[in-house]
Amino acid sequence: MASSLLWLTPLLSFAVGLGMLLVRDRRVLATLDVAGSLAVLGLTLAITNRVVQAGPVGALGIFRADHVAVLFLVLIGLLAVAVSIATVGWMRQELARGHMRAERLHYYYALVHGFIATMLVTVLADNLGVLWIAMEGTTITSALLVGFHGDKHGLEAAWKYIIVTTIGISFGLFGTVLVYGAAAHAQGGVLAGAMNWSSIVAVAPHLDPGIIRIGFIFVIVGYGTKAGLAPVHMWLPDAHSQAPTPVSALLSGALIKCALFGIIRFHTIARAACGPEFSQGLLLIFGLLSVVVATPFILAQHDLKRLLGYHSVEHVGIIALGLGFGGRLGTYGALLHVINHGVTKALVFLVAGDAIARYDTRDMRMIRGLMGIAPLAGTLLLMGALSLAGTPPFSIFISELMVIQAGLAAGRTVVVAAFLVVVVIIFAGLIHHVGQMVFGTAAASASREREAHLPMLGMLLLVAAMVLLGVYMPAGLDRVLARATEIIIG
Amino acid sequence: MSVELATRLIDVLGALLLFSTLLILASGQLFRAIYAVAMQSVFLGIAGAVLGAATGNPDLWVIAGITIVVKAILLPWLLIWVVRRIQIPREIESVIPINATLALAAGIVVLAFRLSASLGPVRQAITGNALPVGIALILLGVLVMAARRTALVQMVGLFASENGIFFTAMAVTQGMPLIIEIGILLDVVLGALVMGILVLRVRSSVDTDIADLENLKG
Repeated sequence: MASSLLWLTPLLSFAVGLGMLLVRDRRVLATLDVAGSLAVLGLTLAITNRVVQAGPVGALGIFRADHVAVLFLVLIGLLAVAVSIATVGWMRQELARGHMRAERLHYYYALVHGFIATMLVTVLADNLGVLWIAMEGTTITSALLVGFHGDKHGLEAAWKYIIVTTIGISFGLFGTVLVYGAAAHAQGGVLAGAMNWSSIVAVAPHLDPGIIRIGFIFVIVGYGTKAGLAPVHMWLPDAHSQAPTPVSALLSGALIKCALFGIIRFHTIARAACGPEFSQGLLLIFGLLSVVVATPFILAQHDLKRLLGYHSVEHVGIIALGLGFGGRLGTYGALLHVINHGVTKALVFLVAGDAIARYDTRDMRMIRGLMGIAPLAGTLLLMGALSLAGTPPFSIFISELMVIQAGLAAGRTVVVAAFLVVVVIIFAGLIHHVGQMVFGTAAASASREREAHLPMLGMLLLVAAMVLLGVYMPAGLDRVLARATEIIIG
Repeated sequence: MSVELATRLIDVLGALLLFSTLLILASGQLFRAIYAVAMQSVFLGIAGAVLGAATGNPDLWVIAGITIVVKAILLPWLLIWVVRRIQIPREIESVIPINATLALAAGIVVLAFRLSASLGPVRQAITGNALPVGIALILLGVLVMAARRTALVQMVGLFASENGIFFTAMAVTQGMPLIIEIGILLDVVLGALVMGILVLRVRSSVDTDIADLENLKG
């Protein structure tokens, strides 16, 4: 029973997507969207429950859910629900403004669910080949969504996105082939399940370190491209800013975390095969580079959604730093940051979409006085930005603190110092940008339409998670995180 | 087929694969690049058949057949269809001049061979020089994509890069499981279709090459 949930969950999402292709009615599509997402969240929670009660569970020899996977799984489920609720109101606005054509709606909804299904397969895959196939599947479905509006900017972003991440993750496939070759060699021939992560980890200490090193370099460059790690992040601000707002929330909140999940799987293998220094060192380099490279672009940015895109580069860097500092605390902090950033960034993208619709511009210099014309959205934007900047009592503060502590414990004082300087600069820049948008007086041209309930409900769900995790750590989550940390650091 | 013969054949085919990518890099004409990648895919298919005969693994024969159908016929046909449909200029626009690209390519090949010469016992698990050739092909494919500013040639570079991965994957003991290879090829085809759609949509709306758009910056 429990094992069939593993393939039922993505299959359900996929089937909902296919079914949507047959529907033309706007209301039915929106209902299917929300219901499909709720069902996915329910199934991911059921899988989590089973994993917490009775340990990792596998299915069909290619799927497997352990404590690491369920963290990502629930994040995808939660964001799917919040985003689909917010989509209801967003879609109404887009149709009213003529940005979205009614006769193409079913393609949009179907692609979103196909996209969610491929993300679910990515984190549920045990077979590393299936992991790769699903990861490329996310690129194909989401590239169509990035270019969905069909305007010049959207198509340019979609092209850069698909061409750069496809060549990027083909590096990931090559790394996978090398690791698989090393495992087949160590096992003295190709056994059943030789491509499965669980069986490769079991023989990891006997793998040839030379080939695993080359394999891991290819994997971190490859899946790192997809995760948006600098210096291979160039596509990210374009794609995340040009996509329709709900898709941006999923791309930044969930998809780049799926790519990190791939890196974490190989990191676990590389740690066991060549010792922790090698893969952690690489993660540190990519992590620090991402945090540093994102900073000037965040400061000089005028486009609200690009700002958030560069911010994702910074936060992916922080997660890589946490994994790179290593140890119990660093790994735990990195995993917690995956959840915290996913929730917060999805929230901020949704609020930003609302603000952009009100002012009909993405230029932050033109957005003023949001608090005055939309108090709820203004408050949410301010809270989200404070959280992104790392202020207490929000959740990101906690995980960033853990990463910093882990860095100090690992004796990486210079890296931590550089990181702190950059975080302070980004804090100042972000608060400056957002402060000006939220306070002041709005231009007369801004829409003073009453705030719709449904999109706000989706955002409030995310705010609740963001604040809750900032002040209180549920015992169940703590247990899963602790066990996941043990799986990664062995 | 004896192991020595298979190793020698794989090395010859590896050289031909490298030569095909160099042809792509050296071509200033769109059609030449497309024909070169089609030819490379035929060599890849032959390599699959050679390894299938040497190891007695029937899966490799299937993979060889699918490779030739998909990568040597279907994808080049798709590219040519797009070119014919929208009257793209047949010249390739370069970011880095052809001579400089070829010099870079030579450096990449040397680097790939030196890198894999440093490896330990696991090299025995991979037939002949498949590993350095694979690494070189992947990096050369990236070079094609970086050095040329024509969308369809960037796609050709991507396919050439993927051919390198498939070559190494076939030579890793007995290749990847058949179902995984098929899944990967399916992704390759779907990805190429989406890229083709994007190229067509940009051509039909603003009449420029999609790889030439540079409005998103900073």
